Amino acid sequence: MNFYLKLFFFFLILIWVLGIFVEVLIPHFNYLAFLYPYLDIIYSHVCHQQPEKTLSISGHSLLVCSRCTGIYIGSLVSAFILLFVPFIKVSNTKYLILASVPMFVDVILYSIGVYTYSKTIALFSGSLFGIAGIIYIYKGLQILLAKKREEET
Amino acid sequence: MKKYLSPLIVGFGAGVLSIVPVAKSFGCCLIIPVAAFIALLLDQKANNNYSKLEIKQGVIFGLLTGIYAALFGTIFDFFITFITKNNDIVATYSELQKVITQFPISDELKDNVMSMLGGVVESIRTTGISLVYTFSVLVNNLILNSIFGMLGGIIGVQILNSRNQKMIP
Repeated sequence: MNFYLKLFFFFLILIWVLGIFVEVLIPHFNYLAFLYPYLDIIYSHVCHQQPEKTLSISGHSLLVCSRCTGIYIGSLVSAFILLFVPFIKVSNTKYLILASVPMFVDVILYSIGVYTYSKTIALFSGSLFGIAGIIYIYKGLQILLAKKREEET
Repeated sequence: MKKYLSPLIVGFGAGVLSIVPVAKSFGCCLIIPVAAFIALLLDQKANNNYSKLEIKQGVIFGLLTGIYAALFGTIFDFFITFITKNNDIVATYSELQKVITQFPISDELKDNVMSMLGGVVESIRTTGISLVYTFSVLVNNLILNSIFGMLGGIIGVQILNSRNQKMIP
């Protein structure tokens, strides 16, 4: 994957992440208020948006729950770092599975009532999954593009 | 058609799950990527073929699963909204109104946003149909589910290849 393609993906993820923060951005960019109802519908299809599980910044709620916020911010951080990594070399999926363990353990433990839902734990465990997820997505795209190039030549 | 039967079946399941409130909140954004992974897994099991999968196949299966889930999800959502004259946007309308009134923006802008939203809600409450809502849900589902499906397919291929590699003695 070349730098410009990775830059394109980074900006796509950045736009998606900024959408989550629309309520925080409206005081600074008033016309975003028109997008608010539509963005609310969009994000409601990828997240339950339960208020008690949603982070808020200076009284403005984000459009997705803490876990989803973590996944997307993790993806953004990972996409930024990968801009400067020329070739992704991960041989198997053990890192992805390892990175998803905290998230699934958290879901199971709070679901069975071992502890109450913690936004911090959800954010942190989600971000680990997001960081690892993007690496494997990029690796997949890298294989796909290499195969296409191979077919062309 | 038979070649892509598993995305159809799993896409239908994901479409149903995406409108069931409890399942929706549990699965969150993982329903569609997991569905794409299951579609690949089902295809391998159905054909009893555990050879190395190509990323391209993951992308196609993910895309198809996402499209089917979007179509079925939107159709179910349309009919449920039509019958009950209620949906997420109607249920959260008062909450949305409160949020919008609290925005530090001009009253004129607030009124414009409210009337745009109010028109959709009023149409659903009276007739059970809002073309603007249905169209936006369809477009939104098609775009998002396709993307999430393809991502799930890309990761799914790597997980399955890694697993199948271990199974080969």
